[in-house]
Amino acid sequence: MRQPRLSAFQCALLAPGAILLAVLLVAPIALMAVESFRPFVGGRVGAGAGWTLRNYTELIEPAYAFYFYDTFRIGFIVSAIALLLATPLAWQAARTKRRAVRVSIFGLLIGLLFMSLVARLYAIQMTWGTNGPLAFFGTLIGVPARSAGYAAIQVAIGLLHFVVPMSAIILIGTFQNISPRLEEAAASLGAPRWRVALTVTLPLAAPGLLSAFMIAFAMCISNFVVPLILGRGVVLFTTNLMYVRFSDVANFPSGAAIGVIMFALAGFVIYFMTQLVRWVSPEAQS
Amino acid sequence: MTHMPPSASTALDWTASAVFRFLLAASILFLILPVVVSVVLSFDDRQFLGPFPPKQFSLRWYRSFLDNPAYLDGLIVSLKLAVLSTVISTVAGACAAYVIASGRWRGRDTVELLFLSPKFVPTVVIGFSILGFASAIQVFDPFTRLIMGHVVITIPFTVRATLASLVGIRRSLVEAAISLGAPPWRAFLDVTLPLARTGIVAGALMAFVLSFDEVAVSLFLSDAFTQTLPIALVAEMRANLNLTVAAVSTVFAAVTILIVFFLDRAIGLDRVIGQGLYRG
Repeated sequence: MRQPRLSAFQCALLAPGAILLAVLLVAPIALMAVESFRPFVGGRVGAGAGWTLRNYTELIEPAYAFYFYDTFRIGFIVSAIALLLATPLAWQAARTKRRAVRVSIFGLLIGLLFMSLVARLYAIQMTWGTNGPLAFFGTLIGVPARSAGYAAIQVAIGLLHFVVPMSAIILIGTFQNISPRLEEAAASLGAPRWRVALTVTLPLAAPGLLSAFMIAFAMCISNFVVPLILGRGVVLFTTNLMYVRFSDVANFPSGAAIGVIMFALAGFVIYFMTQLVRWVSPEAQS
Repeated sequence: MTHMPPSASTALDWTASAVFRFLLAASILFLILPVVVSVVLSFDDRQFLGPFPPKQFSLRWYRSFLDNPAYLDGLIVSLKLAVLSTVISTVAGACAAYVIASGRWRGRDTVELLFLSPKFVPTVVIGFSILGFASAIQVFDPFTRLIMGHVVITIPFTVRATLASLVGIRRSLVEAAISLGAPPWRAFLDVTLPLARTGIVAGALMAFVLSFDEVAVSLFLSDAFTQTLPIALVAEMRANLNLTVAAVSTVFAAVTILIVFFLDRAIGLDRVIGQGLYRG
């Protein structure tokens, strides 16, 4: 069947947004991609003339590759812990019979989404930082709050506070779409609850858990504010490196190269995620 | 595993439910505790940052917020910026969502991807690329640059929220209006728009909050004279730790509670999150 074209009225409605995005998103990123192949001329704003791959090759050097490694490592660990914390919250909200419990959890999650991240990060610094009431946690796990290594722990805590509400909201949808009848059926056939959870619920929730993990991961590695505020200058993510390259050294082409790589990585994570979810649950695509 | 004696099975059941309860409590505490600590500290009477909990309480940090012109200037810039970019991205986003939801047409998937894509692009990349682009086209006014960046990051949210509310509107209603002689723009204004109102309002609210709290894009696009409130706060937090920011955070928390309360009254929190088939 041929798909119909748009009417003039529909085109007119689509135009403002499409033009805005073409001018403010597509064109700037295209320009950035071009700039990333320009040589860096010190002491000058903008890029020099001619073409080079230098901005990319220098990122493979261990000093820079480490930032990528650190970003991915912390992002991975945080996303895994986020699933662990978000799952019970989402499960309780999706399955409780009491409306008050459900609405309270919803209110907490939505409230955190709407509450300023800057304010939340400040609160985390007050609570988990050197003077905070939870600073003993660092000593507990062998990384005292005053040590340099604690910066990574604080960044992880900040990222967790950022991604747990999002993951929980995704998982609430997942659990609400799993019929409780299936669990009841398994239980009535004599399966204990832990087996029901492991053999009935978990496989059905797998696509949701996977996409929650991937979205959390994508949000962690592209985050900028959390390492900026809680990293104490010790923990720098790729995003922070990009800002430093631009603000401290005024190396625009190098920042552009990092930007192109991050743009490509974000695209790859999204593509990988849709493929993975499709592979885990082919029927979800219908 | 099927031949496990019932007692071992019960023990496992008990352990599983204990672990579940522990994780649930841990996650709720983890999310709430920092907010509580910072709210309490914002009323601290000490001049310095002392250990928790404070012994005496006062409003000194709230006064110090009001006495600092950098914060008030930032607040005004942030509010102007958030209002303007919300209006632009809500109008553009809602109109586009209406066309995207109007059935299958050639190129629809590409257009939908374009409108949702800013959400997947890291905000630093958006800020950085717009900065380069703005200087290439000779735009040096920081407020204009900030608007450019904030419109881009908020559009996907207004499009998404409007799309979600349009899915529930039956096409037959629009077709009825048209078959009764209404031109398409009339049907759009009188039928679709009122029905999609909750989605549009929710999207605008999200856009406003997102813009108001944005740091990465604003850091690239602002300058020393035009700063948003979050940028001023971040600068303060990195320079010296005092409790003025705690006072601001408490105000933010209070506003957030108001927003959630308003959302529950206007739309219902159930509808904001739960669209699942089998709710509890």
